[in-house]
Amino acid sequence: MDLYGKMAATQDAKGKGEGGDQNFDYMFKLLIIGNSSVGKTSFLFRYADDAFTSAFVSTVGIDFKVKTVYKNDKRIKLQIWDTAGQERYRTITTAYYRGAMGFILMYDITNEESFGAVQDWATQIKTYSWDNAQVVLAGNKCDMEEERVVSVDSGRLLAEQLGFEFFETSAKDNVNVKQTFERLVDLICDKMSESLDTDPAVTTGGPTAKLSDSAPPLQQQGCNC
Amino acid sequence: MDVSSNGSSSIKPQTNPFVNSKLMSSLRASLQKGAIPVSSSNEGSPRPNIFSTLWRPNISNTDDFIPLYSDCIAKACSRTQEYLLFKDPEDKFHPSPEVLTQIFLMTYIGQSLNLNMTDNFNCTVMTPEQRILLGADWVWAVLEKPTKNPRIQIVVQVLHMPDREGIAEDYPPEGRTESLQMAQKESSNKTVCERMVDFCASIGKDCYALFLFLGRKNDTGKIYGVLSNNFQAAVGKCDKIDRDLIENFFKGSRYLHTPTGMLQTITTKKDEEPLTVLIKFN
Repeated sequence: MDLYGKMAATQDAKGKGEGGDQNFDYMFKLLIIGNSSVGKTSFLFRYADDAFTSAFVSTVGIDFKVKTVYKNDKRIKLQIWDTAGQERYRTITTAYYRGAMGFILMYDITNEESFGAVQDWATQIKTYSWDNAQVVLAGNKCDMEEERVVSVDSGRLLAEQLGFEFFETSAKDNVNVKQTFERLVDLICDKMSESLDTDPAVTTGGPTAKLSDSAPPLQQQGCNC
Repeated sequence: MDVSSNGSSSIKPQTNPFVNSKLMSSLRASLQKGAIPVSSSNEGSPRPNIFSTLWRPNISNTDDFIPLYSDCIAKACSRTQEYLLFKDPEDKFHPSPEVLTQIFLMTYIGQSLNLNMTDNFNCTVMTPEQRILLGADWVWAVLEKPTKNPRIQIVVQVLHMPDREGIAEDYPPEGRTESLQMAQKESSNKTVCERMVDFCASIGKDCYALFLFLGRKNDTGKIYGVLSNNFQAAVGKCDKIDRDLIENFFKGSRYLHTPTGMLQTITTKKDEEPLTVLIKFN
């Protein structure tokens, strides 16, 4: 993704803003994926705007929000893409997987079908994203205990099998929403540091070097976050 | 507004032979003219047989929204036209393109809620970021029952008279500016028309792009449209897809659909068939 390439490679962009807020140390591109109606948009609204509405509006295509977080005195800008879960939008949504550093793969604990589709979504990530993308599995709507059909253990086991972190969440009651994003950011930072240790060559790029779409979108100077 | 249910798996539209038949099209047309409806299976019979009675609710359910849609459009066009034609004696009131779009859309939505038609045909308004990324102002969808997943979509972009484009919009809230600029950067290599055409093409032939003209040269108070599921055929053949190219469709055009005709045409069309129609909305 060209935007990501430019922005992510621009570490310490303070004071270089050409309009808009480019005052950040790192930019991470994150995607929320999963079946339709599992609560992806509500989850993002809760995190970005601390708001929730029970009215359901099916997302058309793709949308995004920006949120800035701080970690170890570093300012990290999160560009969080909210994807439509319906099959008819699959072509456009998968086009945005490229360059994503992290995914929140969401299912609905009251909907068995959405849980059954997790494996397929994981395959989509492998197919359209890069190998080092970090994934957190989120079982949303945990406030609806009476309608639960997917146990916590089933969710945890599947996450282990897939090598993902796991949270049960509720956008409605604001349970584990912030924690899910924070954990994903931690995982991305850890992976970046790890990659730096094993491949010092990644540090040789200049601060304005452009990252290709196919290459792992690591920060050129590594991550101290 | 949209109330679709779950399911990432594809659900093929159910084909209703009554809906797809030419006979039904002509029946609907005659109904519109106020003709007495005649069941296809009991022509000449004084009473409908049991089968035609059983089928009737399906036919009715499928197309119930079309006259309601027509009513909503009539209201929205009428309201918008007042603003399009209004001349402020003091020359101070110049509604921006954004304001005109909102007048049309809000009048439409208000009426569609009054008529309770959103279970069959809904309208999803794009966020400011989506308007840039996808090039769409809103999306109309014919919904499939019982899933309420879209069966047919009409992705709408409003085109304004060129002399209105210079009128300043309200400045977006500060926090929003950043995300809008990001969206612009994401899509900077294509015109807004091209973005919408690409988006529709990515979905398939059951997704139509509708360019809605709020006024045209020499006809500033009228609302026209060009609808197609095949605009992408122009990609590569033309320098770019923009207002001028779209407006060219009207040159030499002999037939303009009504909003009702537009919906009847797309709901009875065969799958995967390319279709382009011109519409006069008021």
